[in-house]
Amino acid sequence: MSTARFDELIHAPTRLAIVSLLAAAQWADFKYIRDELGLSDSALSKQLSTLESAGYVQIRKSFVGKYPRTSASLSPAGRQAFEQHVAALQQIVARSQQNGDARSAAEAARGILGR
Amino acid sequence: MSGTQQPQPAGTEATGAEAAAELAEIQRRHQQVIKTALVPVWYWWAYAVAIVAYGVGRDIRGSAVKATVITLAVLAMVVLSAVMIPEVRRRVKVRLDPQPQARLTAAVIGLIILVTLVTVFTAVALVAARVPYPVTIACAAGGAVLVIAGPLVNRYLHKLMLAQARQQMGGAPQAAGTP
Repeated sequence: MSTARFDELIHAPTRLAIVSLLAAAQWADFKYIRDELGLSDSALSKQLSTLESAGYVQIRKSFVGKYPRTSASLSPAGRQAFEQHVAALQQIVARSQQNGDARSAAEAARGILGR
Repeated sequence: MSGTQQPQPAGTEATGAEAAAELAEIQRRHQQVIKTALVPVWYWWAYAVAIVAYGVGRDIRGSAVKATVITLAVLAMVVLSAVMIPEVRRRVKVRLDPQPQARLTAAVIGLIILVTLVTVFTAVALVAARVPYPVTIACAAGGAVLVIAGPLVNRYLHKLMLAQARQQMGGAPQAAGTP
């Protein structure tokens, strides 16, 4: 299990979707990511550039015949950051459940005492 | 390239509900990738039809019709194998550890062997029993096995990939609405 570390860069909804998609893949085609997430070319390029600048994503450009093809993959640093972010989310959920349980128990106890 | 945006340390963390929604979103995206990587159900049916067409071609009389049917059936199988599967892999490649990867390969090879054995043994038995149209019936049996076992293999691969995705998430509980 990774060390928990909440990552604001990954937390943003569009970037979370991109990173989650890439986390399950070795690599994914640019058009595939765009279509699956319903983004425009420019919106996806912008988010991928942000993730690439942070060292989280690697962009690979190649040619298939005459046609250029761009694919993206998570870098080892990106994968680690994602795993740490997931661990942080799980901690938050667990903490929130514990607080909820404690609150419920306190309310139940108050109810019993109040009878 | 735009300016570097470094991740910030914890401080503006999400609430419990937001974190749960975020985990559900992550699982949903993993499912999306896994679903893309699997061949669709129609693929098994199309391949089965091509196998049966090949059988009909072998049993049919008249050399010109026979040659045409067999050529078309083989062509359909080649197209389905050589175009469809690389097309799936062209879009996204699922990340699999060596052990699930080996199981995946074994499942696919097992399916091919099963279909081949059922077809060949049925054909041999029918020819020995002098049953008419032995190759057509044998290919129909092989096609039926493919239509039944293909989706089962798909389901097994789906389970395998999902288990690994969950493992990567530290055994996170299933999100609401995910199978």
